[in-house]
Amino acid sequence: MKTLFDTAGGTIATGLLLTLVLYLMVRQLVAGG
Amino acid sequence: MVLHVFDFLLRWAHFIAALIWIGHNYASVVQRPNYRPLAREELVNNEGATFMSLLNREHGTFRYASVVAWASGVLMLWQRGWLMDALTLNGYFAVIGTGFWIGTLMLGNLWLVLWPNQKKVLGFVPATVDERIRCARITHLSSRTNTMLSIPLLFFMAASSHGAALFN
Repeated sequence: MKTLFDTAGGTIATGLLLTLVLYLMVRQLVAGG
Repeated sequence: MVLHVFDFLLRWAHFIAALIWIGHNYASVVQRPNYRPLAREELVNNEGATFMSLLNREHGTFRYASVVAWASGVLMLWQRGWLMDALTLNGYFAVIGTGFWIGTLMLGNLWLVLWPNQKKVLGFVPATVDERIRCARITHLSSRTNTMLSIPLLFFMAASSHGAALFN
């Protein structure tokens, strides 16, 4: 089964997307919301 | 003063160990950016004690670097009295705490998923050719999972010391 991790681009893009999602979540957490 | 020096040395060790560990991971991405199945003839087959010992040293170095990176990070948090707040993602400690949890996930992935399979791929433990090829797919996915996780980990590590403005 092909996955996003089969290419370096897919791996990096997934990492950047996860960073964005986690950043937004942690920012909410820090703000107490 | 002593505690400041200790904290600084831990941070230094943290950087060096993390560079050894993740540098090894990134080197593999550069060497083989796109996955292709391992061919039978690419498998290492008892290439001699010297070669196997070099291979063992290479993998041991980055594996134990991961332990040093993780332990020095935890010690820094503990020494400052931040450990529990970081683990429970309390307030601004959620920034470094997220880094801690991602790093812990990566450490577990390396030791509990990648390494048991890699031992078979490299021939450190006996396995059939088909099994070794199957394990090579798992080690690829496990390794790239850590590549992907290192991106947010480094973001939160840097942000905890230098990115307060991002969270205001």
